[in-house]
Amino acid sequence: MLERLRARRVGYPAAVLLVLATIGILKLFPGLADSSVALLLLLSVFLAAWIWESGPGALAAVLATLGFNFFFIPPVHTFTVEDPRNVVALFVFLFSGLLIGRLSALARRRLRLVEAERADLAAMTRLSQAFLSDTNRESLLGVAADRLRDALGAEHVTILLANAEQALAAAAATSAEDVRRDLAELAYRQGNSAAFPSRHGGTDIYLPIPVGLQRAGVLVAIGMRRSEGLAEGCAILLGLALERERFLRLAREAEETKTSEQMKSTLLASLAHDLKTPVATARGAIENWSAQAGDSESAGLALEQVELLTRRIGQLMEVVRLDSGLAKPQREVVTCAEIVEAAVARFGDAVAGHSLFIDLPHSEVRVEADPAQLTEALGQGLENAARYSPAGSEIRVSAVADGGSAFLRVADQGSGIPPSERERVLDRFVRLPTASGMPGTGLGLAIARSLVEMNGGRVRLSGFEGGGTLFEIELPLAAA
Amino acid sequence: MSRILVVDDEAGIRKVARDALERAGHEVETAVDGEDALGFMEEKEFALVITDLTMPRLDGRALVRRIRKSSDVPILVLTVRQEEREKVRLLDDGADDYVTKPFGVAELVARAHALLRRGEGRAGAPPLSRFGDVEVDREARIVQKRGKPLHLTPTEYSLLTTILSKPGAVWTHRQLLAEVWGTTAGVTSDTLRVHMGSLRRKLEDDPNRPRFIRTEPWVGYRFSPEG
Repeated sequence: MLERLRARRVGYPAAVLLVLATIGILKLFPGLADSSVALLLLLSVFLAAWIWESGPGALAAVLATLGFNFFFIPPVHTFTVEDPRNVVALFVFLFSGLLIGRLSALARRRLRLVEAERADLAAMTRLSQAFLSDTNRESLLGVAADRLRDALGAEHVTILLANAEQALAAAAATSAEDVRRDLAELAYRQGNSAAFPSRHGGTDIYLPIPVGLQRAGVLVAIGMRRSEGLAEGCAILLGLALERERFLRLAREAEETKTSEQMKSTLLASLAHDLKTPVATARGAIENWSAQAGDSESAGLALEQVELLTRRIGQLMEVVRLDSGLAKPQREVVTCAEIVEAAVARFGDAVAGHSLFIDLPHSEVRVEADPAQLTEALGQGLENAARYSPAGSEIRVSAVADGGSAFLRVADQGSGIPPSERERVLDRFVRLPTASGMPGTGLGLAIARSLVEMNGGRVRLSGFEGGGTLFEIELPLAAA
Repeated sequence: MSRILVVDDEAGIRKVARDALERAGHEVETAVDGEDALGFMEEKEFALVITDLTMPRLDGRALVRRIRKSSDVPILVLTVRQEEREKVRLLDDGADDYVTKPFGVAELVARAHALLRRGEGRAGAPPLSRFGDVEVDREARIVQKRGKPLHLTPTEYSLLTTILSKPGAVWTHRQLLAEVWGTTAGVTSDTLRVHMGSLRRKLEDDPNRPRFIRTEPWVGYRFSPEG
């Protein structure tokens, strides 16, 4: 805008000078035919319009017509025209001059616009290449302000970004110059851009930085000399670069989490190995020894204790796994019959002293759960039932579908749990006073509850009229 | 008597396994890790390899894969319980069976014997045709329980003969699908479960507590002819 104004200010006197100079030169060659003079004058009009565009071009056309009349059409040095044919010629000359000036100016202006657009495009391309080469937010922002200032031909550029609380803060700036907070807020909150003439010359512009449907912040350019379209393009580019950087960061973080989980998982596996290997050695050694020395009560007792130790280690490992966040369920559709079978197979030793009944009236009760975790949970229920009910008594395991839920149940004939304690014993390390004489960690039921809840189910304890406890796992039925 | 290689970095486990297997009448060599074991295997022929999973240098899984490149010697792996999914990978990699730590000596010897018998069976012994009160006539494709013929579908029959081919062995879902359906594409382990469930209802006395076809939790199935 400013450049054009400046050019026009020079343009009018310059156009006048050009035409007068042309006339002066033509006067030096008196032998020239009138038609040649007319053509050369039109050429000067064309040049004036090409260089200084429409206004000066029109002035040059009028001046050239007057000059042609005054200096060349007889009687010379007057504005009178004797020959009526020359009147027509003069009008044709004026009309041609204006037309040539107009066309020339138009062509020139189009060319100028195309060039400006090409320059904008080149600036955008350079900028996007520069942005793409940066994969880190700090280095991206560090140079973004300088790059934008160069691209926009601005005095100063500030990039304001919103933080987590949606408050704008300067993230990068080319200098310490103040920007208008009210306009920046408006651009950020409502997405309205603002542009007005700058006191530095050029334009001050406040543009929202779009990120998808949201806005990441505001781009402020002070004293910008390039088009507003370019500035808008730059804001979009900056938004894209920020968004790209965010996705790259998320991907990096996901990768890091994965690595740390793999490390934890490896550590846990080696911890399990280190805990269980000595127990396995002890158990094997006792068995080998008693095979040589003949079975003894002591060997039997030792093996029993080793077995107990094994279960405790298993429970502790389960707790560590739950707390480490590694026990993520890998859910699949399984039948409850399989869960019961697996739990009985694995925890069968614990209930060996009881008479176990398995009741599976519905053959296909299907749930979506991590089978290993669900088996572990049911097994803890089984073990608990065996521990707190008299040897030889009945333990009944069942799986039924009712309403939209599957129920896995373990019923025992033990002394039962008072209703007031039933919720509490599902917590860690909580044991009933009546159980104080018996070995136990108070972890089993808590593990069962954590595992079941992780799989979208619930664990409940209830009782029967004549004593005994019902341990119940409820899970939604799998969609057929 | 067979020559068995025991691979474990724990001296205690090596000693326990050696004592138990020697008492059962076998010749036992021990190696401290996978690399060591491969060295032994170059020198001597073994009828069975028993290996731990967690070892320095070459671990159990890598050892299984290395052995399978050149030999089909039976491999028994010692694992700890938390490694369910690792077990499936091990079996799919070519291990024949596993024992969970802390294992009983009797269990270890029984598994070793089952694998040794199968190793000998490869030389062309007749496939198993009788377990419990069930009899399988392969020529006539007739299966009888307590002298009465059972009506098995072709898939059930194929499942039964497949697991009979390796008594005592664990089959992963994938292995069974590949063996019986010829493909693992398009058939899910759900399909397998349905067919296995109905086969059990026909073969087992109490399908709720199967004796012969046992579910190996999250791994697959194990057929134990002794019940």
